[in-house]
Amino acid sequence: MADYSNNELITAFLSRQIEDDDLCFVGVGTNGRAFTLAVGIPLAAVRLAQMNQAPGASVYWGNLLEPDLSVIPETFTQDSFTRWQAAACPPDTGVKCDMLSRGSFDVSFNSAAQIDRHGNLNITAIGDYERPRVRLVGCLAQPEHLAFVRRPLLVMDLDRRTFVEKVDFITSVGFLDGGDARERAGLEPGGGPRFVVTDKAIFDFTPDTRELRLVSLHPGVSLDEVLGLMALVPVLPDNVPETAPPTAAELQAIRRDIDPNRILLRV
Amino acid sequence: MKEKLVSLQQALSPIQSGASIAVGGSLLRRQPNAAVRELIRRGVNDLTILTWAGTTAIDMLAAADAIRRFEGIYVGLFNYGLAPNFRRAVQDGKIEVRDFSETAMVARLRATAQGLSFLPIKTLFGSDIAAKNPEQIKTFSCPFTGKPLQAVAAADTEFTIIHGYAGDKYGNVQWPVVRDTDDMDQPFAAAAKRLIVTVERIIPHEEVKRSPSLTYIPGNWVEAIVEVPYGAHPVACDTRYDEDDAHMQDYVARSKTAAGAAAYLDEFARNLPDHEAYLRKVGGEAALSALHVSEGAR
Repeated sequence: MADYSNNELITAFLSRQIEDDDLCFVGVGTNGRAFTLAVGIPLAAVRLAQMNQAPGASVYWGNLLEPDLSVIPETFTQDSFTRWQAAACPPDTGVKCDMLSRGSFDVSFNSAAQIDRHGNLNITAIGDYERPRVRLVGCLAQPEHLAFVRRPLLVMDLDRRTFVEKVDFITSVGFLDGGDARERAGLEPGGGPRFVVTDKAIFDFTPDTRELRLVSLHPGVSLDEVLGLMALVPVLPDNVPETAPPTAAELQAIRRDIDPNRILLRV
Repeated sequence: MKEKLVSLQQALSPIQSGASIAVGGSLLRRQPNAAVRELIRRGVNDLTILTWAGTTAIDMLAAADAIRRFEGIYVGLFNYGLAPNFRRAVQDGKIEVRDFSETAMVARLRATAQGLSFLPIKTLFGSDIAAKNPEQIKTFSCPFTGKPLQAVAAADTEFTIIHGYAGDKYGNVQWPVVRDTDDMDQPFAAAAKRLIVTVERIIPHEEVKRSPSLTYIPGNWVEAIVEVPYGAHPVACDTRYDEDDAHMQDYVARSKTAAGAAAYLDEFARNLPDHEAYLRKVGGEAALSALHVSEGAR
């Protein structure tokens, strides 16, 4: 038995991707496992980075810039969001949209109901758009994150229904059908999903064909287990290393300073 | 200044079946639920709805089979999951949906507010959101750089309904200094043609005049203002009251089937004469005061 949890492993990996002075977007809301993936792990990862290599990294959370993350409440009703202290709270969400469009954000944390070989994401509809099998939430600002943020980090659990050859609907553009398709479609050069961080393994995208590629397996996870949880076969390097486990110092920071009451990384 | 304070019935009476309505609020904040229940009570249907992050207001309209077309960035129930009735209606082919990302919807509202037919974005290249909507999202070349841009059609609805914190009888609506700003209510108001605002409480004009910078919706923009305490229930009005968790859970449970949702709407909208009866039905001041939060206690 490892002396760290899966969430701590993921948090430590993500924190190492944050560079000094990065502006990182984190969404609000949801509960249970979805909260951990969308809010808890990202907030913990940015704080850990702030304590280590990226003291100048900033968080934009909901519509708060530089929120005080030193006290995390037990429950999240509206009033806990209303009273959250922060350096800035712009007058409406349009300000955040403007900052996205002009390229102010370095990192975002995203997840989706479907992701495909080329990192395109679907949070809109499963099946036919006009007559879907499952109507999902729509799109929010996820298209903006994938279009404008320099290094989107996708955080989602591995599942055959989620990791598919082709998404049913491209809500947010990863690399379309690969190569330079993203730029040819009209998006500015650079950008696109950087890593896909799951509960079993980490992926990135090949530099030329822009295909999903296995980067590392979490300690104790086999390749067969990972492939069994995917409806596509990713690019497989000859040697697949283990994901580097969190260091003792990272674990101490997470447990003692960042999430002492186990709210961010609960489930 | 013209007095614009009317009853909820009077304020909403111009809205008939077939109308197009922009609906304010975001996620579990300030959904104009009392106004929506009044529209459902009257049996208004065949609506075109435009919204930011819609939750209960949109889902109840979907449960009432009142939406023909939807345009917006999101419909769900935030931490209560997907929007069960909206989801069912879309899956059954009853609602024609056009999705817009956040920069696209911001551009649509700002275009209308400026009297323009469109504003450009550069977000949706390659996205099926644009591919599925050639009528409202069109690629063109920037006249300065030659690079591609996407023109997004201005938001165009006959009516806009917003639930606000406090306002005077002239329709000047104010926000508190500390609030949850993750919404687009002011841009929605700025883009409105016929703007109907419900507020938690009517305050004296003297109070408004002392701090005019807190007036985010000037009465000049407003057609009608209505005092509707707990007008967002069962969701929250930040700085006033929290979401009603028990009611939300009950709503979700009963919305598992269309029949269950219809029975919910009968009980909480159609079979009640007005919003006062609704407030008594959900437990009156005794139950509602338990949802209060301390205003400005930051």
